[in-house]
Amino acid sequence: MTTKLLMGNEAFAHAALEAGVRVVAGYPGTPSSELVETVAKLHAEGAAQGVHVEWSTNEKAALELAAGASHAGARVLFTCKQVGLNVASDALMSLNYVGTNGGTVLFVADDPGPISSQTEQDTRRFASFAKVPVLDPATPDQGFAMMQVAFDLSERYHTPVIVRPTTRVCHASTFFDVADTTEARPVPEEGFQKDPKWVIFPRRAYQGHGEINERLVKIADDFSTDPAFEQFNPVFTGGMTREMPQIGIMAGGVSAAYVREALAIVEDAASAAGVLIPAYRFMQVGTPYPFPEKAAAVFARGLRSVVVVEELDSVLEDEMLKLAAKIALDSAKTLGEDIAPALLEVLGRYTGHMPDRGENTIDDIALRLAKLLLSERYAQAADDDSRNAIEAVFATLEEAASGTRFAELNASLPVRPPVLCPGCPHRGSFYAIKRALGKQPAVMCGDIGCYTLGNAQPLDAVDTCLCMGAGITMAQGLAVAEPHKKQVAFVGDSTFFASGLTGIANAVYNGHDITVAVLDNATTAMTGSQPHPGTGVTLMGEKRKPIDIEGVLRALGVECIERANPLDLRECEAAAKRAIEFEGPSALLLVSPCIQLVKPSPAVTVDTETCTGCKKCITEIGCPAIGFDPAARGPRSKERGQVFVDASQCNGCNLCTQVCPFGSLIEGGCRD
Amino acid sequence: MINVMLTGVGGQGTVLAAKVLAQAALSKGWQVRTAETIGMAQRGGSVISHVRMGNEGEEVHAPLLAKASAQLIIAFEPSEAARVLPYLAPGGVLVTARTTIQPVTAALAKEPYVADAVISRIEALLEGTGSRLVVVDDEKLIAQVGNRKALNTVLLGSALAAGCLPLSVEEMKDALSACVKPRFVEMNLAALDAALA
Ligand code: SF4
Ligand code: SF4
Repeated sequence: MTTKLLMGNEAFAHAALEAGVRVVAGYPGTPSSELVETVAKLHAEGAAQGVHVEWSTNEKAALELAAGASHAGARVLFTCKQVGLNVASDALMSLNYVGTNGGTVLFVADDPGPISSQTEQDTRRFASFAKVPVLDPATPDQGFAMMQVAFDLSERYHTPVIVRPTTRVCHASTFFDVADTTEARPVPEEGFQKDPKWVIFPRRAYQGHGEINERLVKIADDFSTDPAFEQFNPVFTGGMTREMPQIGIMAGGVSAAYVREALAIVEDAASAAGVLIPAYRFMQVGTPYPFPEKAAAVFARGLRSVVVVEELDSVLEDEMLKLAAKIALDSAKTLGEDIAPALLEVLGRYTGHMPDRGENTIDDIALRLAKLLLSERYAQAADDDSRNAIEAVFATLEEAASGTRFAELNASLPVRPPVLCPGCPHRGSFYAIKRALGKQPAVMCGDIGCYTLGNAQPLDAVDTCLCMGAGITMAQGLAVAEPHKKQVAFVGDSTFFASGLTGIANAVYNGHDITVAVLDNATTAMTGSQPHPGTGVTLMGEKRKPIDIEGVLRALGVECIERANPLDLRECEAAAKRAIEFEGPSALLLVSPCIQLVKPSPAVTVDTETCTGCKKCITEIGCPAIGFDPAARGPRSKERGQVFVDASQCNGCNLCTQVCPFGSLIEGGCRD
Repeated sequence: MINVMLTGVGGQGTVLAAKVLAQAALSKGWQVRTAETIGMAQRGGSVISHVRMGNEGEEVHAPLLAKASAQLIIAFEPSEAARVLPYLAPGGVLVTARTTIQPVTAALAKEPYVADAVISRIEALLEGTGSRLVVVDDEKLIAQVGNRKALNTVLLGSALAAGCLPLSVEEMKDALSACVKPRFVEMNLAALDAALA
């Protein structure tokens, strides 16, 4: 055992390896990617023995591969981000019907905010739709424990199991004691056993549906009573008075940790004002589906209201509304008509007590909880003094949560949205294609990756972005609807393999007049430089022959394929013109590595003698290494100011030197 | 509980600085949680690292800081310092580098962004609150070390020199040596010395 500072995702990798996982497959996506990377690193170091780890071509491929290995009895782990599960959902829905053999865990990371995603979808909801159990950690430590029992749960019931942390759990670090070496569980000797149950057919589906329903009832029970799972649904009472609690607080995921911090803040503020916080009962639901109804009913006993704190969807709130209805019905039945039934009020997003989107924060929760906990006391306050004291608590919390004192300064600060790196080859690609299009009416369909950032000013070169691979196919729809416009679709090399191929085949087969610009930077850059089929590098350390994108395009029947270096403006623009003018599907292959992969060239310098301060280099390509200094003076810029190049940021791509009309940006190493 | 926030522009190295603090806390036997910004924002956007250390044996639940709870904020860039001011606890210390990183939005705008203007507005807001502002002449210190990559260590050293971290110089050196790649240890120790001098 060694104590290591690990990020949640790294720790989950250790947990799965310690549980004997044999096959790990996924597709990169923030905030999930570090898990597979950690397994690969430990495998490369020789610490993780007997494991097979891979980046698959996309999520569907990864899950199907995992399903096959599980059929043979191997413990398998599949990883993706929330939208990745959409891609793998076809496999997941049926896999749940045929069932699993070796422990099958799906690690699906959600992204409230969203911080780096297209949607705020909730995998807990997906789990209930697919009828698959899901575990939802509040902290990395809890996720570590969940990851290990998830394999046992899967094997106990032959069901896939989802572990779904959110960004703040995935990317939070703490210290863990982890095994120095791990050994994958061997695949049982009998291996894959042929059986009609593995073949999904309408009859099998009917039978499988019954099996699913039966096991979900048992699993819901386990979540309430089996110590292995019940530990994820902890309950405690708090507050500053000793009466029986009447208010409950239920929280899921990282919000459970926020609530605990928020309650401490509320109690501090109350103590300072001499106010007593009434008793409350808290419950974290770490096993949201199937909902641990028995445990929740015990938690709700005697409560008059429950406030639910969660992110993304109102999953727990829905369950509590159902439970409240049951409690009322049951009590109405047993008490008879003359006595009022037990009513449990459920507060949350539907009632406006909690925000309906985005990330929760400690400060905001503290203010909202304080108002809920103290509202009755405030209404019943005997005198002005006690009312004022409660108001003082609200004011303290409100001031911290809103930060009004700083609002004015904040509004005056320059915004800092993410941008393409200095020297990013995509900048050249976008700029050259825009130049090639000139004034022709055109739509530029973007896709998922760093190149989505091409939408920022001044490039402004991404008109649409939907989901992985959609740019190519959306361009075809636009071409059908608006044949008088040029349609250019952008796709990265990793996305090309993940989900671009079907779209290209469609364009060729149905004869759509589009130009597909493949931005080949030899990596999956946005998620942290993962390899893919076009790089030939695998996570198992073997080198394969890279799949040649040009060859693929040709084989799919694309007749016009132009190739250019995106950092050579003239060459790139000419190639783009030819591809765009071609009638029918054409491809523009723009090849230059991501700057994260290569050594920078010397920085460019500004010739202060000739710079006119026209700002063209800034307004045309917007490289973050180029700034403007209004105080700079030169013979040609006069009072206008001049640009400067931040040498610590400049990557020496020399794109700007081709843009400046006065030759004032000088290639590094050229001067003196 | 010691709450530290590190903020800067994607690529400046806040993550490593957070790691160094966590490492130092571990050697003290404290519970630690840190949180990072990973994803799109790393491409030149605003990034924040949160470090929470339970130095009095208390349990740390959440990885993120609440507003008005950071005893120490280390900012790698002045406008980023200003952005996170609501997180500074009453009586807390804000250590910021003076050198700006101009966002493309500022270069495109008519009015470029000037460090001193932002710093004096921060000063004005902190006046009378018991909080302290430490502006680090990072350009001078980096020139002594010769590598901008050492900015994180320079700032950690400046925070230590300002008496905002309950760590000794030795503890900081050990944590640094444990966290940076072996070939950079010497440069980082020199950067620490420069900041402490
Ligand atoms: S990481 Fe690579 S692909 Fe992404 S913006 Fe930077 S240079 Fe471009
Ligand atoms: S050469 Fe010009 S465009 Fe390229 S990174 Fe340097 S400043 Fe930016």
